[in-house]
Amino acid sequence: MFVRIWNVIIKELIQFARDRLLTGFILLAPVLQLLLMAQNVERGISEQPVAILDLDRSRLSRQLIVDLDNSDELQVQFYVDNYEQIHELLDGGDARLAVVIPAGFAERLLAVRQAAARQVQVQLFADGTNTMAASVTLSAAGNVLSRFSADLAVSSGLMVPEIIDFRTNIRFNPTMDIRDYTIPAQLGFIIYQVTLAVAALGLARERELGTLEQLMVTPLRHFELTLGKGLPAIAIGGLNFGVMWIISLTVFDTPMNGSPLLLIALSLLFITTQVGWGLVLSAISRTQQQAILFVFIQAMVDVAFSGFLVPVKNMPEALQMIARFVPLQHYLAILRSVMLKGAGLEELWRNAAALAILGIVMWGLGLRAVARQVD
Amino acid sequence: MSLRRLFAVMRKEVLHIVRDPRNLFLVTVSPAFLLVLLSYVFSFEIKQFSLVVLDLDRTSLSRRYLASLTSNQDLNLTHTVTGYDAIDPLLLEGTVDVALVIPPGFAAEVRGGQAAQVQAIIDGTDPFAGSQAINLLSSLSAAFVAGTATTGPVMASQPVEVLTQAWYNAGLLSLHGMVPGLLAIVLIMPTLALALALTREKETGTLEGLMATPVLGFEYVVGKVAAYIITGQVSALLALLVAVLWFEVPFRGNLALYLLLAADYFLACMAAVVVVANYVKSQQTAMFIVLLVFIVPSFFLAGLITPVSTGSPFSVLTSYVLPSTHFVEISRVIFLKGLGLAQMVQPALILLGMGLVALALGLLSFKKRVG
Repeated sequence: MFVRIWNVIIKELIQFARDRLLTGFILLAPVLQLLLMAQNVERGISEQPVAILDLDRSRLSRQLIVDLDNSDELQVQFYVDNYEQIHELLDGGDARLAVVIPAGFAERLLAVRQAAARQVQVQLFADGTNTMAASVTLSAAGNVLSRFSADLAVSSGLMVPEIIDFRTNIRFNPTMDIRDYTIPAQLGFIIYQVTLAVAALGLARERELGTLEQLMVTPLRHFELTLGKGLPAIAIGGLNFGVMWIISLTVFDTPMNGSPLLLIALSLLFITTQVGWGLVLSAISRTQQQAILFVFIQAMVDVAFSGFLVPVKNMPEALQMIARFVPLQHYLAILRSVMLKGAGLEELWRNAAALAILGIVMWGLGLRAVARQVD
Repeated sequence: MSLRRLFAVMRKEVLHIVRDPRNLFLVTVSPAFLLVLLSYVFSFEIKQFSLVVLDLDRTSLSRRYLASLTSNQDLNLTHTVTGYDAIDPLLLEGTVDVALVIPPGFAAEVRGGQAAQVQAIIDGTDPFAGSQAINLLSSLSAAFVAGTATTGPVMASQPVEVLTQAWYNAGLLSLHGMVPGLLAIVLIMPTLALALALTREKETGTLEGLMATPVLGFEYVVGKVAAYIITGQVSALLALLVAVLWFEVPFRGNLALYLLLAADYFLACMAAVVVVANYVKSQQTAMFIVLLVFIVPSFFLAGLITPVSTGSPFSVLTSYVLPSTHFVEISRVIFLKGLGLAQMVQPALILLGMGLVALALGLLSFKKRVG
């Protein structure tokens, strides 16, 4: 039995190695992808271009502009003379936020102590086409303005300073490094892509090329064929994981706060689960084209529900339910928790159990589907 | 070159697309289908943070402080604990996002005019959510301070009033921003279909048959791309209908311009795939390349969620060589800003340039292979 499984494994690996382009792609593309994406997410939303319409041109208004420019999220790039120009800059996408400081800004603020004091209105216009960027820039500018306002109030004796000294203490990712948050997830996602695609095409290809019939006349049993197809995919996924994990630890200095052994064990569990699902897809597809279509749609669904781009917590209840059936979602939670939070099995047993159950179900379905396909 | 042969290839290709239900799905319906799926997931509104409180003061003032922090729906008090030790497991499991510790003597210090220290412990794993939580807490806390500590008239305690307005998307509805952006991703599907069609001809050997006919390489490639661009237009229209009718995203621009620029986008993507397909033997590899080169990076680099990073020349370059970056911009400008071609000359020309250069490269390398 082991000899027969071994033979299928060897056959698979030889076939894989023969397609040079594919081999190169599967082994190298993930690494390139990781490097490329890590490069780009480094900064998050920072230094967004801001246009200023300063109708006051006083010392105080210039102080406010400097404060705005000093915040990480904003960078003052344009000084305009009228509303018309604000329109042009926001229309063209050159500026993401426009700040209008009204005439009489300083005069009114300096008179704030007097009974007839009036509030001064500062207008903020954001480009709402990218809602995330809009809310980040608006809240950054809002914070600058309220600090500016509070400082003025304190200095003119309207408010007692610092009555509550608010201290924040950030756990797990103290510098709030976006890379540390996204790289573990990218690592998981890339392994996911490769593993699923390798597994999903195996049987459909044999069927399309007619070699499946040849395999059927050999003494191979169904589970031997399934294992022989699945194990090389697990090996390739495991290899990918190893390489990318080392790269993320060495090149990007991603923290590794939890147990490496736990991470390796759970990664193999995830890869096994994912390969099982790939086998199901490949066994129910008649042609490679169909398998590709399935994998593609599957990948889109999985990415959507994985918490990769959107935290699962933000989703409506019904979608959160669906997310529980997506192995990738559990694996990304595991990667982030183990690497950043240093969580152990006590905290992660739910995710691990979910992966194990999904894995058993998928391999079960895979075996049945292969049996049906072959007979 | 003969137009008749070109049209013959086009006709054959359109028939292929129409007759094979799976291919037809891929080219026409799948973008609309994916748009529905992805839009639901990506249109997240501002998140509610769950809060755990350790109140060591237990005075009416500390309770009033907590009540004012949780008075709106943004902070949700889910746990109250009695010791420091209970906080950490909750953060580790991810059941709460924020922990707030009110020290003993809080009320006494505040009444005495001293600064009382309040400690917020925040899960920084997700920096976006983390900084959102910090901003939220400090502004709520400042509001409480302003309410209790003002000595002058309340109105004047905030001398500067901020008026905010989001243009083009007044309520900052994330759905309205995401759906036009996601169009760029889902409209890659017709390109995938072309990649599979080009490699399938090689894999199944029908390409050899075609080469025995008088059809020239040029006619073959251009005919194929044209057929997919034309059928791709159907998908662009269907996706637009889904966006406007289903998601009720405002469409403020010109329909003809949208379709023209969608064709421009198809050309850029498909021409790149023609080059790739010249070197690829199997559909499997073609799918990998489309997935890993076009689709996945588009989620991160095309300005869909966070704006295109201008940090380093390298990151700008990687974003700009992706056709989707330009179409995300085009689509948002047409949908939400409702502007004309004049405002989109740059992305439109970049896409056209990419398309023509890649098509030329594809034709050159194609000839070599056939000859």
